[in-house]
Amino acid sequence: MSDLTPPPRSAGRVLDAQLHLLDRTVLDRTGVPVTTVDALEITDIEVDTPIEPGTPAPVITALLSGPVLGTRIFGGRPPRSRLERIPWSDITDVGIVIKLGVDGDSLDLTWVERWMRDKIISRIPGGRHDPE
Amino acid sequence: MILNDLLGLDVFDDHGERVGSVLDARFVIDGRPGQTLAEARLDGLVISPHSRHSYLGYERMDMNSPAIINALLRWMHRGTFYVRWEAVQRITEHDVHLRNGYRRFDARLSAAPGTTS
Repeated sequence: MSDLTPPPRSAGRVLDAQLHLLDRTVLDRTGVPVTTVDALEITDIEVDTPIEPGTPAPVITALLSGPVLGTRIFGGRPPRSRLERIPWSDITDVGIVIKLGVDGDSLDLTWVERWMRDKIISRIPGGRHDPE
Repeated sequence: MILNDLLGLDVFDDHGERVGSVLDARFVIDGRPGQTLAEARLDGLVISPHSRHSYLGYERMDMNSPAIINALLRWMHRGTFYVRWEAVQRITEHDVHLRNGYRRFDARLSAAPGTTS
């Protein structure tokens, strides 16, 4: 490997999907963890069709998260419809964690948590305030 | 398209000879400016001739300890190389095909400027 030449220089930050994005924790605008990254959505590549020279490279359009425990053990991936999107435009920083510029409550992927909070937890006596 | 479908696919050269599997996809944040981050453009693919999975990225980083783990993982990923997007000729559901005369580059992240942690 070391006898190969380095690739041409690029102006931007370099991210390897597996190393720097997948499985990373995602924090919302206030620093609250909202999910981890299970998959990445990129702009479409025509499958089984020759890619003409000069074709623009795909770009990441969204981070995806969903019920992946079973598929991680037994293989495959959940159907696309079961994965929730976080648009790339919502991301403010990629580092040890991925930071968003929006509140977690505004994301579809937290609806179960919000529903549990609003419909069940809040109806339990004492469920509307922090522990004392 | 979901990127994860690309990871682990077999890679073939223009003669139909298998050269490895897609270990990872490398992006560069230098696309059209967004509200906060620019678009992350697919720059190329990391390809390993001997393994479909990356473990901790030893083959791409300048880590060398613990020595026994380092030796094992580097052996598993010997011959790992990097090809740029321009070298990809066709992608099917089962494999990736490279163009005639594609060029292999050093896959180490230290060879690529702008690397994040």
